[in-house]
This record gives sequence, structure tokens and C-alpha cells, in this order.
Amino acid sequence: MWLKTLLTVSPAAAASVPKQGRTKWCLWLASIMVVMGLGQLLGISPVDSLQAAEVVAQGSAEVLKGAPELAAADYPRVGNSSSRAVVWILAQMHLFFAAFVLAVPLFVVVIEWVGVKTGDARYDDMAHEFMKVSMTAYSITALFGGTLAFALFLLYPDFMGYMLEVFGSQVLVYALLFFLESAILYMYYYSWYALRYGNAKYVHLSLGLLLNVVGTTLLVIANAWATFMMAPSGVDANGAVTGDIWEIIRGPLWNPVNLHRFIANIAFGGAIVGAYAAYKFLSGRSNTEKAHYDWMGYTSNFIAVLSFLPLPFAGYWLMAEVYAYSQQMGITAMGGILAWLFIVQAVLIGTILLASNYYLWSGMSRTEGSYRYKWLVKYIAIVLTGGFLVWVTPHTLILSAKEVAALGGSHHHLLGPLGIMPAKNIAVNLMLIVTFLSFQLYRRSDKVATVSWAPAGNALMVAIYVIAVVNVIFAGVYYGYFTNTVYKVGSSVMQVVSTLVVIVAGVVIDGMMYKGAKKLPSEWGKVSNRSQYALFALPVAFTWLMALMGYVRSSVRGSWHVYTVMKDSSPDNFIPAIGYAGNMMTIVTVMFLLCVLFVFWIASLSSTKQIPPDSQ
Amino acid sequence: MNLGNTVLVWVISFVVVTLFFYGLDHMVMSSQDLPLNLNLTPAQ
Repeated sequence: MWLKTLLTVSPAAAASVPKQGRTKWCLWLASIMVVMGLGQLLGISPVDSLQAAEVVAQGSAEVLKGAPELAAADYPRVGNSSSRAVVWILAQMHLFFAAFVLAVPLFVVVIEWVGVKTGDARYDDMAHEFMKVSMTAYSITALFGGTLAFALFLLYPDFMGYMLEVFGSQVLVYALLFFLESAILYMYYYSWYALRYGNAKYVHLSLGLLLNVVGTTLLVIANAWATFMMAPSGVDANGAVTGDIWEIIRGPLWNPVNLHRFIANIAFGGAIVGAYAAYKFLSGRSNTEKAHYDWMGYTSNFIAVLSFLPLPFAGYWLMAEVYAYSQQMGITAMGGILAWLFIVQAVLIGTILLASNYYLWSGMSRTEGSYRYKWLVKYIAIVLTGGFLVWVTPHTLILSAKEVAALGGSHHHLLGPLGIMPAKNIAVNLMLIVTFLSFQLYRRSDKVATVSWAPAGNALMVAIYVIAVVNVIFAGVYYGYFTNTVYKVGSSVMQVVSTLVVIVAGVVIDGMMYKGAKKLPSEWGKVSNRSQYALFALPVAFTWLMALMGYVRSSVRGSWHVYTVMKDSSPDNFIPAIGYAGNMMTIVTVMFLLCVLFVFWIASLSSTKQIPPDSQ
Repeated sequence: MNLGNTVLVWVISFVVVTLFFYGLDHMVMSSQDLPLNLNLTPAQ
């Protein structure tokens, strides 16, 4: 419409200006058209927004087109296959790979920057190798993305039609950014050695930065589609569009999901490349090769653990916003049919924490300086095991009448109190605190602080750990069991803040205290093979966890395509049984891990050279 | 550092950190309109 208006006005306006100025007028008009065209493409056309506002203001003057109301017959089927199962597998595979390929460049740029600042070429080589692993995965991401789009349009055409109507030309922005991402990614990877030194390196780093800006924008755009389905905004109760694209995008769950996925992707990416390093370490022949991949595995674990530590807090924020948006949705997730999946989540997160701690303890054998801290390991293990057991204790068991009678009630008198959130909050926070302690001890084990205030710094750090632990237990026990619910929820923030204080203080104090510290001999490659299996456990648990919690996030909508706005009338419009969901998650996890092995093999193949027949 | 100084450093560290966390707890809870009383019991 805006184009038509412009074209109608332009000849008359052009005729009223002198011939000399006509060229300028045309250029100006062309510029306006380009800008308006871009605006239209970006979905931020002011004219559309005004029109939408006018329609709202007129109320019944113009009937807005709402979301379609469908019947089961409106969903095409392919044979007897379950459309939901097909889309489930394709979407999850696409998300796994997308998470990986968006995460790797984020930490690769940082590692490359560290290489520039330290002048150590090993960082540069490692960053390049990380990118090499992600390159094959990038193509697979696109393949699964394309197949997913086809499957959605084939199996859910009306739903996709509605989503396109709501998001309009924003999807073209996504496509445009995808082209940009591909172009910049190839430039970044293939120019690695062409832009390696001097100012050229900064051009290369800028390319990496640009790649991450585009990649993160892609992430948040795609997140808007998922969060719109959970908590629609910019539409009325019937699903008719009433707001502009920005109102549609920034729903109440958009930013919590953005933060959660951004952090989780980095942890996931770190875990995957850690497995690659372990694979190369175990298959490595020479000591040099083993030393290189040991260091690479350590760096990957460092990335995975450091970004994993704040993840529960981002998850907490997301769930708090889910409850704030719809209590019913929150209860479906954490108190209804899906609640048992949070016990499985506890098992998986417990596995991640145990594996990463075990890797750190094993890694201490690289340096003799670790004898100073090894005595603490058994206490950390006790806290981790105790925390793990409390976390996996369910509140309500599915029992027969005979079992209830034998138990003396539906809740075991000892285990009942451990099945509720205050106990689990204590357990999780203590597990995170001691995991950070393992990490800190590992970092300290090959150094001796030389600053004069080192004893005071140590005393301060110990005091922070002790008081934080006391605070976490006090808040959990006192407010969790002896006060009302409002305080119970509010005090969990106290616990989170206590844990964050430990992490931040640990990083700051050690950063200052170990500046210019005396380095003790440390030998890369001098680590047990067992520790490498911990690096394999991490991506397995991370992948399963993503499949699990992605399923929870998606299925809280129940029988809605778009919550409260567009009803799902397909034969699959129900939350499936836990066993079925568990099987689906397991199938997709195994599929992804097989693909990852393929990616590792391809990455290794590129550096394998056949010996010429003459020289044999 | 002699023993007296060492003990003093540890005592000061624990006192400072305890006060810090106490203030932090007040701040976190009052930001949620849940003020603590001085005896650490919740406001009624």
C-alpha cells in the first residue's frame, strides 16, 4: 500500500520541481523507496503499524482475522506415521546442531583473541581446529532445518500459514541473516591463515565478531517463534494480529529463553568439542599429539563448566516468568504430568556435575602442586553425592494401596521433606558451589601466589565459601520449612545470590592473587584415559538434557499450537505418556551422537593423507 | 605473619563476610517486598 501511495504521488510531485533538481528528487525518492523496502523486509513498516493501530481503534469497524479453527481432517498425514513424531525428531536434530554451530564461534573468537593477546600460537591453532569441527556440522544444521520446514508445511499447513501471517516478512529477515551467516562463516574459516598476522588478524577477529552478531540474531529471531507459541503477544484472544512485529516478538518469555539458550548453547558446544578432544587424545599416537588434545579437552571442559554454572539461574528465571505468565502452565510443567521429568533432569545434571568434577580431579595429576588440595576432593565428593541423592528424591511416588499402607502414608516420613523444593534448592546450590571449588582448586594447583596479601586473600575466600554455604542452608531450612510460601520462594533468590557471590568472588580474588604467580611444572598429556571418558559423558548428558527440557518447554502448551489462541486439533494434541516421551528423547539423542561421530570422522579425514604408492 | 596476626586476619575476614551476606540477604529480600527483621525472622 505504501508503495502504491508513493507511486501515485511521485509524478505530480516530480513535475512541480525544476528539471535540474529532478535528478536529485528522483535519487531522494529512490533512497526513500529503498529504506521503506528494507523496513518492509525487516517487518518494521511504520505504515503497517499505524494501520494495525487504526484497526484496533476502530474496534468492530473492521473484523480482524483470527487464528484458524481446525478439525482433525485439516492435518495431512503421511501413511500411518505420527506427524508429531516426525516433526519432533527433525526439530530436535536441527536444534542440537544449530546450538552447536552457533556456540562454537562464540568461544572460538575469545580463544583467538587470547592467542593475539598472549602471542601464543597454540591458542590460534586450537581455535582453528574447533572451527574445523563445526564446519561439517553447519551443513547438517541447514539440511535438518530445510527438512524440518518441509515437514512443517506438509504436515501442519494451516498452523504454518497462521505463523507466517503473524510474523510476515520477519521470516525473510531470518533467511537473509542465514545467507549472511553462511557467507561470513566461510570467509572467517577459510581466511584463517590468509589473515593471521599484524593488522590482518584484527580484520579476521572482526569477521568472527560479525559472525557471532549475526548468529546470535538468528537465535533470538527463531526463539521468538517458539516463545510466541508458548506466550503469544501482539495478538488478541482470537489470534488476530493487533500489534506490530516488535510487539509480537517481545513476548513475556522471549528474553528468558534468549538468555537460557545462549548460555546453554555455549555449555553444549564446549561439551561437544571436549568429546572431540577426548576422541583425538585416546586415538593419538605421539606424546605431542596427546599433550595437544589434553589441553584442548581441558579448555573445552573449562568452557562447558563455566557456562554451565549460571545456567540453573537462567532456567529459574525462565520458570519464574512461565509461572508469572500462566500459573496453570507452570503447574503443568513442575507439578503435573511433566513433574517427573524434573527428576530425570536432576539425574542428568547430577551426571554432568559428577563427570566435570571427576575430570578436574583427574586433571590435577598433571602437576605435582596439586598435593596441597587433594585432601579436599573426598569432601567435595561427599557433598556432590549427598546433593545428588536429595535432588533425585521424588516427592510423590506412584504407589499401590498395599505399598501406601506399608509405607504408612503417601510420603515416606523421612524422604517426604527431601522431595520438596527447599531441599532441592539447597542441594543444587551446594553442588554448584563445590563444583566451583573443584574448578578453583584445579586452577590453583600449578601456581603459588607471590603477592604479600595472599594469606588474607585466602582467609577471605575461605570465609566466603563457609558463610555462603551457611546462608544457603539457613535460607533453605528456615524459610523453606518454617515460614509461608512467599518467603520460601523469595529466599531461593538469597541462595542463588550466595552461589553467584562465591563464583564472582572466586574469579576476582584469584585473578588478582595469582597475577605474576610462580608457576609449578605441569605436563599436558599426563592424565589418565579414564578422565577422557568423563569428557564423553558430558555431551551425552547435555544432549539428553536438551532433548528432555526442550520437550518440557514445548509440551507445556498442552493441546494448543499457540497457547490459548490456536487450538491443536490434530490426532496428537495431547501430552504423551512419559515412557513414550522418554523413548523419543532417547532416539533423537542417539541419532545426534551418531551424527556427531560422523562429524568427528570427517574432521579427522581432512587432515589424513594417503602415502604415495611409490614410497611404500 | 605471626600467629596473632593470622588469627586477626581470619577473624576480620569472617566478620566482614558475615556482615556482607547479612546486608545482601536484607537487600535481596526487601527488593521482593519481604523485609527481614533484625532477629532474622520474617516480617509478619
